[in-house]
Amino acid sequence: MRQGESVLQRRISLSEMLDTESFTEVVKGFVELYRVGIKVFDDKGGKIADIKIGNGDFCGYVFSFPEGRRRCTATVGRVKDGPLGLSHGARLPVLEPDQVPHAKGMLTVPCFTGLRYLIVPILWEGDTLGRVVFGPFFPDDLRDFAPKTLTEISEGFDVGNAKSLVEKVRRAPEGTIARVMLHFGQLLQTMLFGGQKMFLTSQLHIEATLDSNRELEERNKRLEDANTKLKELDRLKSAFLATVSHELRTPLTSIIGYSEMLAEGLAGALNGEQLDYVRTIMEKGETLLKLISSILDISQIEAGKVRLNFEPMDALELINSSVSSLKPQTAKKGVVLEAKLPPRMAMVTGDRDRLRQVIVNLLTNAVKFTPKGGKVSVTLTEIQQQPDLNSPGYRILVEDSGVGIPADQFDKIFHSFYQVDSSSTREYGGAGLGLAIVKSFVEGHGGVVRVASEMGKGSRFTLVLPVTPGSQQQVLITPPVTHVGPADDRF
Amino acid sequence: MQLNHAQRELTVKIVYYGPGLSGKTTNLQMVHQRTSPEVRGRLLTVETHDDRTLFFDLLPVFFSTANGFKVKVKLFTVPGQVIHNATRRIVLQGADAVAFIADSRRSAAQENNAYWKNLQENMRENNLDPAQTPIIIQYNKRDLPDTKTDAEIEETRKKGKEPVVGAIAIRGVGVLETLFAVLQSAYRSLEARASLSKAIGLTEKEFLTQVFANIDVTGTELEKVLPQRAPQGAKP
Repeated sequence: MRQGESVLQRRISLSEMLDTESFTEVVKGFVELYRVGIKVFDDKGGKIADIKIGNGDFCGYVFSFPEGRRRCTATVGRVKDGPLGLSHGARLPVLEPDQVPHAKGMLTVPCFTGLRYLIVPILWEGDTLGRVVFGPFFPDDLRDFAPKTLTEISEGFDVGNAKSLVEKVRRAPEGTIARVMLHFGQLLQTMLFGGQKMFLTSQLHIEATLDSNRELEERNKRLEDANTKLKELDRLKSAFLATVSHELRTPLTSIIGYSEMLAEGLAGALNGEQLDYVRTIMEKGETLLKLISSILDISQIEAGKVRLNFEPMDALELINSSVSSLKPQTAKKGVVLEAKLPPRMAMVTGDRDRLRQVIVNLLTNAVKFTPKGGKVSVTLTEIQQQPDLNSPGYRILVEDSGVGIPADQFDKIFHSFYQVDSSSTREYGGAGLGLAIVKSFVEGHGGVVRVASEMGKGSRFTLVLPVTPGSQQQVLITPPVTHVGPADDRF
Repeated sequence: MQLNHAQRELTVKIVYYGPGLSGKTTNLQMVHQRTSPEVRGRLLTVETHDDRTLFFDLLPVFFSTANGFKVKVKLFTVPGQVIHNATRRIVLQGADAVAFIADSRRSAAQENNAYWKNLQENMRENNLDPAQTPIIIQYNKRDLPDTKTDAEIEETRKKGKEPVVGAIAIRGVGVLETLFAVLQSAYRSLEARASLSKAIGLTEKEFLTQVFANIDVTGTELEKVLPQRAPQGAKP
């Protein structure tokens, strides 16, 4: 909901519409040109501009007498704050016929000294925003200076002195001053129009910016709330998966265990057909167990519950043992599996069990997606400086001559439950978790995993691992990072 | 509406709303042209170099009632371009009635709908009750090819309660009729809300007659509605 009242809803004051400094310059120019003082007041009597000329000495002299001061204050008060109507001594000015239609509200206020003021209201859209006061000036029609109203203020009043001082006051017919005033009024209207336009638009610009900002903040808040809710749901999902897969594993272990016992004849000899069936139960049970273990792994990674155990380990042994565990599968499928290893290699630091799982996952994938007669290889490089890591490290390359991965899928294959196309689930099985686990574990070591592939020719996964992970402590693996979060901000 | 008893002043706000380039500013320019300078301010417009309204246009029209109440009618337009939504929302604040300027061309239907929804949203944001803020629909650009037929427009009219006025704003056709309709409905809604006739002694007839007293309605439908008088004010 929008808050606050817009500038469009309120009345704008004279001082908001006029740039006081430049307006004063304009007034000054007018005063110097026409040699008559100009005062501009807003509707509350606030002074916007006040430029005097010529009358200072004369008025000062009059003001030096107490009665002069009293009468002067009354006249100035009348001019500044008095009604903009024909009362309190004001009368219509003597105008030439052509001026009359434009002289809306113009008044003449005589001063007790015989001088005169002209007042005109500042009208804007039917409102009176203030007034302009011209004067005092010495009206042409003033014959007998000084009048009695002036001379009577004191017995000590020196008419001769007053006459010489009043010489400096502009002498002109009322109509001439009125003409100047109308001219000034037109200029003022133009300035007000420009000023109003500038004031309203700049204010409105600020209001619009603030309001857009408010709208964005509200939207951000809603998105944040939705995001928090989604994160919570995600956490619940992971917790649920962890519990369920744990609960599934327990009875499954019994199923496999008892099948094993049956197969070994512990409950009596089985005939060939029975043995086949029981072995199938075992085999499928193992597959299911692996799948459940993967789900458990990924859900624990996503729930932030996995810790890596870093200790010295032998990378050559790691590769060899991974390869040998794959031998039965490769033999069965008719795929060649070879390991290319350096002759010797120093010990490195890592979580052996997790890294073994990484390599087995990659090799299992490679074998799975490579047709009969194809070739799978795993290469271990020697330790050398790794630009990817900015530290010494080694590489493990797993290559196959399988179906390949489309380039636009390179990122997605590392997401949980993702498979290049859902039909491959049916053809090749699996839950799409292997690579998500690989990525989490490798990154938990401070390493990187990359993929290169050409459709129909094969794929290559490259692991770049540091000799020593950044932290010697057990590292808590957090969910795979898919975006750059505020945690990466420098300040 | 802003009613200031101390200053004896009533301000009525009318907002011309609608899609970009539907003719909102043109409407105001035409009203300006036909209104006598004594009763209106200057037309304030802020446009970009390609004649698109940047903030708003504002045309104030004012008069005094027989009771000596000062009445100001402020006609605003909103900027039509999508990006100026915040400005549209601000200009809409406190509107007493809205003239929705729609483009009659069939191809513009989607835009009209989008801005209609935008108007409803921004009214909600400004706490303007649609039941108390009347809207008049002006079907502008009736002279262009691909324009909807009268029958089609009649269909649209039947879909809601808003009065519909046809217009060719660029030629002044329907502009004053729209203004009349929107002022009339504004008055009626204010009368229902704030009993203007009792509060300040301003009747609907006086309100409309006074506003249009200084607007040249020659050649418009309003000649039949408003009391006969000698033509005055600016010539079109």
